[in-house]
Amino acid sequence: MPEAEEAATALRTDVIQPPERRFTGLLRFVLQQRLGTIGAVLIILMVFGATAAPVLNTSDPEEFGTVILESPSLDHFFGTNREGRDVWSRVLYGGRVSLKIGLATVIIAALGGTALALIAGYLGGLVDFALGRVTDVLIAFPSILFALTLNASLRDELPNIGSVLAAEEFLLVVAICIVFTPVIFRIMRGNVLEQRAAVYVESARVIGASEVRIMWRHIFPNLVGLLLIVMSTTLPAAILTESALSFLGVGVEQGTPSWGADLSGNNRAFFVKAPWIAIFPGLALSITVLAFNLFGDALRDTLDPRLRGQR
Amino acid sequence: MQVYIARRLLAVPFMLLGMSLLLFWLLFLRPGNAALTGFGLVSPDQNASAIASLEEEFGLDRPFFVQYSDWAWNALRGDLGISLKNRRSVTAEIRSRLPVTAELGVLTVLLTALIGIPVGIISAIRPGTVLDGFLRVVTISGISVPNFWVGTLVITLPAIWWGWTPLWQYVRIEDDLIANLKIVIWPALTLAIASAAYIARIVRSSMLETLYSDFVRTARAKGLREQVVIIRHVFRSSMIAVVTVIGIQLGAILGGSVIAEQIFGVPGLGLLVFDSVVSIDYTMVLGAIMVFALMFTLINLLVDVIYTFVDPRIRY
Repeated sequence: MPEAEEAATALRTDVIQPPERRFTGLLRFVLQQRLGTIGAVLIILMVFGATAAPVLNTSDPEEFGTVILESPSLDHFFGTNREGRDVWSRVLYGGRVSLKIGLATVIIAALGGTALALIAGYLGGLVDFALGRVTDVLIAFPSILFALTLNASLRDELPNIGSVLAAEEFLLVVAICIVFTPVIFRIMRGNVLEQRAAVYVESARVIGASEVRIMWRHIFPNLVGLLLIVMSTTLPAAILTESALSFLGVGVEQGTPSWGADLSGNNRAFFVKAPWIAIFPGLALSITVLAFNLFGDALRDTLDPRLRGQR
Repeated sequence: MQVYIARRLLAVPFMLLGMSLLLFWLLFLRPGNAALTGFGLVSPDQNASAIASLEEEFGLDRPFFVQYSDWAWNALRGDLGISLKNRRSVTAEIRSRLPVTAELGVLTVLLTALIGIPVGIISAIRPGTVLDGFLRVVTISGISVPNFWVGTLVITLPAIWWGWTPLWQYVRIEDDLIANLKIVIWPALTLAIASAAYIARIVRSSMLETLYSDFVRTARAKGLREQVVIIRHVFRSSMIAVVTVIGIQLGAILGGSVIAEQIFGVPGLGLLVFDSVVSIDYTMVLGAIMVFALMFTLINLLVDVIYTFVDPRIRY
């Protein structure tokens, strides 16, 4: 039975092929998108630093030390601040806050924005109109001002949701989500409408697929690429918003390590005397945002050739 | 086109209605006496009648829609109420601070264009060169660096390196123009870095798109000098992208004024919003943010109208 064996090998190669193709795809990405690869490596380093913070830190980031304003040394890689807190440890833990809030925001805003876009595109008419006008209003505020106001007004309203996110962090997520969801909604809605008019949707309708099935099985998969691109550009924006709010003093709780908060408040008086307090958190934040921007650019080039070179 | 502008203008009042309703609702979620205790007008142990009389003074005991319509009616006539903090007129406070932020905004946009456009053009006419690669890294870094860190470094680094520590004492423009500009240029530059980097990227990519189009080849073929081809033909057609992006960036610049004004001690509208949010002065926050939103809305409208002049292909 050579035929059967042949068929079996053919089957086996079929099974083996996809991962191989995925690997060459990755290789091609690394070769063609050098800046994007640098971004990806920096992201991995940042995520590693944030998750492994309890292992990598040299002291408790919130612990007051006896050596204050000490310049960077082997004991304190990034020096210490006015309270004698270790700046290296605070930068590591600050990454945790940024990553946590950034990711939570982007995932919620992306899911919410896309779901609303599908609903608006699917139902059309009054619902689409209403969602569109609400979006107009929400987008009409300069984003940082809006987030600032939301943060101030909701401050006492929200419950503490436990150990994953402190109340202040939860509030940041809510405020930043309300700012970014309409933006994502608007981008995705345009695309839903575009897809809806496509021939493949018409043919699915002809063979009798329901609207929900068309939305979920046909249109949504075609949105995934754009969604990934949108998420990769929203994440650094969300991280910047979080740190800006923390910088303004309406973000994380006082004392919590955060790149934005550590650049503000009482620390400011000591920047000239101890520049390391100002440099390292800002540098960590800038490199993180840069890494996501580099990666996002490369992702856009790879996933959507039509957008190549834009922005 | 007139129909389009009329339609857009007609939408503005509805936008303002929506925005003010939303803000009003957000800011007045808090019960009246909580708003008063927020910054010490009432202490928690003060007797009920004192709280009630203050609530009555500010009208916080009335139903939401009564409060809102009262506020909206007065706002239409230019009266945005009185500050909860010091009982001064919100309108007067905003009027004295608006020119400061407007100056900062205009200066920022000017710097954005002056830095961003040339960088974009240089990148676009030498694509793929070392210079282009360098500028691409610089511009993507520019959009990644948070403005509050840039502002911090602008104040800190010269002080460390050269012992340059100006007082950062704001001087009003009508008192001394030069002294005023010497201060305002720094927050403007701080805010302009990200916007300029953004514009440079847009100019580069949109110029690259047109650089190889037929009309550019024609312009070269008829013997125009390369400079003329680039400036008059290629760059002009990417102006539309520049206008769009300046419109978008204005949101970031207006929002950024909160941060830049705080760092450099510029007493503008942004600092007013910040101070009022911190002291929970709701009427002031409401008035100031509405003025920001109005500016943003009108500027976006203006940008859309400018399109039609820059790009004759667009007809609404």
